[in-house]
Amino acid sequence: MFDLNMKILVVDDFSTMRKIVKNVLKQLGYNNIEEAEDGAQAYTKLKNNTFNFVVSDWNMPNMDGLDMLKKVRSDPELKDLPVLMVTAEAEKDKVVTAIKAGVNNYIVKPFTAETLKQKMEQIFERLNKS
Amino acid sequence: MSDEMEEIIQDFIIETQEILDALDEKFVDLEKDRSNQDLLNEIFRSIHTLKGASGFLGYNQLVELTHTAENILKKLKDGILQVTPHIMDVILDSVDLMKLLLEHIKEKDGKEEDLNSIVSKLQAIEKGESTDPGDGARTEDGPPAEEEKPVPGQTKETETITPDENSQASPQKESNTEQEPSGDPPEKEKVHVEQTLRVDIERLDNVLNLVGELVLGRNRLMKITSNLETRHPEDHETSMLSETTAFLSIITTDLQIAVMKTRMQPMKKVFNKFPRMVRDLARSRGKEVELIISGEETEVDKSVIENIADPLVHLVRNALDHGIELPEERQSAGKPAQGTVKFSASQEGNNIVIEIEDNGRGMDPDIIRQKAVEKEIITQPEAMTLSGKEVLDLLFTPGFSTANEITDISGRGVGMDVVKTNISKLNGTIEILTEKGKGSRFIIRFPLTLAIIQTLMVEAAEEVYAIPLGAVLETVRVTAQDIHTVNSQEVIQLRGEVLPIIRLAKLFGTSPPMAPVTLYVVVATANDKKFGLAVDRLKGQEEAVIKAVEGNLVNLNDTNIIAGATIAGDGRVVLIIDVSIIMESLATGTLTYA
Repeated sequence: MFDLNMKILVVDDFSTMRKIVKNVLKQLGYNNIEEAEDGAQAYTKLKNNTFNFVVSDWNMPNMDGLDMLKKVRSDPELKDLPVLMVTAEAEKDKVVTAIKAGVNNYIVKPFTAETLKQKMEQIFERLNKS
Repeated sequence: MSDEMEEIIQDFIIETQEILDALDEKFVDLEKDRSNQDLLNEIFRSIHTLKGASGFLGYNQLVELTHTAENILKKLKDGILQVTPHIMDVILDSVDLMKLLLEHIKEKDGKEEDLNSIVSKLQAIEKGESTDPGDGARTEDGPPAEEEKPVPGQTKETETITPDENSQASPQKESNTEQEPSGDPPEKEKVHVEQTLRVDIERLDNVLNLVGELVLGRNRLMKITSNLETRHPEDHETSMLSETTAFLSIITTDLQIAVMKTRMQPMKKVFNKFPRMVRDLARSRGKEVELIISGEETEVDKSVIENIADPLVHLVRNALDHGIELPEERQSAGKPAQGTVKFSASQEGNNIVIEIEDNGRGMDPDIIRQKAVEKEIITQPEAMTLSGKEVLDLLFTPGFSTANEITDISGRGVGMDVVKTNISKLNGTIEILTEKGKGSRFIIRFPLTLAIIQTLMVEAAEEVYAIPLGAVLETVRVTAQDIHTVNSQEVIQLRGEVLPIIRLAKLFGTSPPMAPVTLYVVVATANDKKFGLAVDRLKGQEEAVIKAVEGNLVNLNDTNIIAGATIAGDGRVVLIIDVSIIMESLATGTLTYA
């Protein structure tokens, strides 16, 4: 359906969480995964390499997920990069903020491989349509 | 369970431990600086992160607790609630409970904790029903628990929202002004790219053991090389061999230091827990205490970190319980109401020195004498003859405690004797300095490394023994006539000072074929006292890799005077003598020869 070799960036300040997300992605067959500790590090990585997809935490030191998203969207090179935001729970106002800032979808912790797959399918279906 | 899951859980445990340890300190800082928004954000983020990861791993109790605590932290962060001592108490209690839950995860014991009481306390605070007693006393029993368990984040994963096509297709630059209130402070924390690798401690221990073996091999090689040098001094091959051996020796020493360093950790790891502890103790005892920590970056071996914590905890408890007075008492004595406890760590040569100092009431030698007599540790006449220093040594006697009543802080059955035993295990010493009315100071010293030490090799009755060089003051040569017997104790006179002598051979129940005419006395020191170990010959200095010896080989009042064994350069197995134990037996007059 979509490319299992696509390059994914997992952004979270808690290394255990990065491992967990990576593990879930691996269950779905993705193996080309890199990590970043916060939004600032993620942005640098995104600028220096070509990534196809970003899974980012929201609450992080230095630069949080929302600020990173805004920076990505305002960058001509990165503006179309699909970003999936991970939140702790469905805080509606937060989600609205993220959508306004141009997030492609969001997912609530904890999630299963199946849920992640659905979210990713939704994102890429919409991208393919447009 | 899959290996990957197991690895993730192990990482979770380590990382969570770090977060929780750091939280204590952050909370104590927050109490001093209650409106510090950065700190509040950091604390909130830590708890929030913990909740997220716990949810993934199915640690529901941890999720419940972090979720409830997070709600309060959010209100604090957003300025809806203000930090009060009561709120701090409850949140700190919940952090303690998180540690306990983590312990269960670590032990895989499947145990659960009763969260009702703490959760209802947290919820009461969240609803603004703060029952702050105000007067500084801790509330031990909360209001009866309301049975209402939220299961956050558990059932929500199917919830989906579809971002509308427009906003996603055309990214807006600065469309929203309602930025998250937390608004992380930019550039506040330094961006650190950590180049670290977590390594199983067993692997490091294995490397250390191998280096130990290498040192032994190097020592043997050096011995053989020096033998060859005496036998074939002109041989070209011999000089090449000694050159190579010298090179190998330097590399081995460097390697040894490098491996030691991999096991070194900053004292911060131990000192970390004290701000919180001092705060809690001071609050529960109604005392005002300032804690000053210095030298927390001093690095010590991992085994020291593991074993020094308990003795330090005990000393801190003592300082808070017996040392620092109540504010009124301090003021009437002309001192500031707030007492001070100072912690410091530093490196002096090959030793690490840790000091704990308080400016409390100090110790009264007369009260210690009286207690010791009451507890029948010494007799009244004995008590009167003891010097100030000897009186302080009584504190280390098993069963001695100066507390008039048993409190929840001190007097839990572990006394200063346990402190001393633990420090001795690290080959360390403890010294007490105290002045009545002014305060007390405890000085702990122990060697930088535990595995490899410099020793003086001696021979007694044709057996070779190693004496740790750190305990050796000097060596003197004496003749049999110089040794006198006073009160059935052999002594020599050393520059006008009378020095008790122990014959090493006799200690081990061996005797020389004929009584030697000249002897060597190794003047050894432990706990600021001196004695002489009489031996037949001095063999020189050698680096010894300590190997543990199973069982008690030689008993002195059921204590093992063997600190371990090593393999000397000539391949012989050599016992390492524990000087402090001999000194103790000598001091208590219980020394008997085998």
